[in-house]
Amino acid sequence: MSERADPVRWEWSGLRRLVFNPLIVKDGLARVRSWRAPAVIALYLGLLGLFAWLAFSIQLTGFPQPTGFARVASNVFTALALVQLALVCLVTPALAAGAVSGERERQTLDVLLVSCVPSFGIVWGKLVASVAFVLLLILAALPLFATVFLFGGIDGQQFLVAQLLTATTALAVAAVSLFLSTMFRRTLGATVVAYGLTFAATAASWYTGTILLASGHIRVGQALLFANPIQAMLAALQGASSVVGRAGGPPAYAVTGGGLVPLGPRPSAPAVQPWEVTVAIELAIVAVAAVGTMFLLRERRGGGSGSG
Amino acid sequence: MIEVRGLRKRYGRRLALDHLDFAVPEGEIFGFLGPNGAGKTTTLRILATLTPPDGGTAVIGGVRVDSRPFAVRRLIGYMPDFFGVYDRLNVVEYLDFYASCYDVPARRRRRLAGELLELVDLADRAGDQVDTLSRGMKQRLCLARALVHSPQVLLLDEPASGLDPRARLEMQELIRELRRMGKTILISSHIVPEVEELCTWVGVIDAGRMVEIGPKADVLRRAAGARRLRIELVDADEARTAEARRLVAGWPGVIAVEDVEKGLEAAIEAGLPAHLLLRDLVQAGFGVGAFTPVQAGLSDVFLRLTERGTEGVA
Repeated sequence: MSERADPVRWEWSGLRRLVFNPLIVKDGLARVRSWRAPAVIALYLGLLGLFAWLAFSIQLTGFPQPTGFARVASNVFTALALVQLALVCLVTPALAAGAVSGERERQTLDVLLVSCVPSFGIVWGKLVASVAFVLLLILAALPLFATVFLFGGIDGQQFLVAQLLTATTALAVAAVSLFLSTMFRRTLGATVVAYGLTFAATAASWYTGTILLASGHIRVGQALLFANPIQAMLAALQGASSVVGRAGGPPAYAVTGGGLVPLGPRPSAPAVQPWEVTVAIELAIVAVAAVGTMFLLRERRGGGSGSG
Repeated sequence: MIEVRGLRKRYGRRLALDHLDFAVPEGEIFGFLGPNGAGKTTTLRILATLTPPDGGTAVIGGVRVDSRPFAVRRLIGYMPDFFGVYDRLNVVEYLDFYASCYDVPARRRRRLAGELLELVDLADRAGDQVDTLSRGMKQRLCLARALVHSPQVLLLDEPASGLDPRARLEMQELIRELRRMGKTILISSHIVPEVEELCTWVGVIDAGRMVEIGPKADVLRRAAGARRLRIELVDADEARTAEARRLVAGWPGVIAVEDVEKGLEAAIEAGLPAHLLLRDLVQAGFGVGAFTPVQAGLSDVFLRLTERGTEGVA
């Protein structure tokens, strides 16, 4: 490959493409010009706002004393973060699972593959373009979270961790959806599988893991909850115990009328926080999915050794 | 400029390219003719770095397609037979996007888009949404898109398919203009008159093999051995014309018969005794208003060389 013959030029060119990736601009423009973008933002904020109001109403009924505000705010913030996580998991596959298969269906993929954008550039551009809108949703919801944050009960680190976990989960879901979008010929197939995997890796595994832990199947339960973003979010916001640092312990918490309540004594903080493990594993998933997508694109590009 | 040697490609059990050999000189318009499924699109996709060959070599501008695809992509402009456009982008943004895909500096892109739109006669549609353009305009825009990085070679797969006569003529004129600009152009087509009017070189592919190649004049000269007869039928309705077609097609030495206005046109081998064919038609009760030889053209070459049909892959 001519570019690789000159490593310095290739590195600079690669860095430039990373920042000024044409796909990010093109997909971004197309997305924000669609009527769906403002509709999704409005629906997203509306749902979150409605949920916050409902959660506050219910929680304030349970904790009428002023001293209980911090606990109320903590519970509402946690519930809001979980709802945001769920919404992000619903929105992201819809944005990313058609990124490559949509180009194929629109008959624009061949022309893109014949261009000088390297396979990495296509993966990067499509991933960033998909996640950018989700990040916009997360940013748009920050004032709502900040309102709850004002009541106390949540510190700055927890606030940031909740947003970080949501963002990395969106990134991981987007990367896997992008891989599926490259693997499947049709957007519909890619979308269905992406939703299935997302549901399995989040809500289904958390629910099953929690049930198994409660029924004494500790190892299987812990395995299912390991790196689960819901579990990590609860651990970060409610002090729920870590499945990493706490082998053989009782169930971490229970869902009661007053919210999510930790069960048993709070253990000493583990060396590695659950959210750190989750973020690390989600970033690893992003890397593996991105490499897989690049591999599939190179195959599609004729499989040449230097096909970029 | 383009050199293909022993190119092979198989899709499962179907042989798409069978040791294909050809070369396209610099600055020529090469018409790549063949019936549907002959292997034209497969060849173009290999040259465009989209499909790996199973064997053989393809070289463009001295660069091997299989080992240095990135360098080849800078040399070629590719227009596929079926292509889509992005919605929610206007014409200038569409060209700007592809120019940035080829690393054209941002300060040059806007001027480049203007120049290309002038070239393809779409300057007055610069602000229009791409998906609102007509089919012919989209074809011209796609050609402009293929030119954003000023490639030396253009690979055009059925560039005039689906166009009305006016749009087809405009496309032909545009391709001639590109040749005057020094581009080497390979056009895949199964529309013989289009290739005959436009191309300076012709290659006929059948079942994955090149069966005829050379400058158009040479190919036509070699085809002079084949002849064409025009048979005008008097008062023949559809059923009688079909009957006459069957009679003529059944004659040994008749390569192909097609319906034309008021009669038939038959491609025949040089040695066929035409007067006996005329006698048979008259004896069968057909009124023959005219029975005249037609000068051999590229259609005759094409029909003669591809008469057995193909089962290959396009």
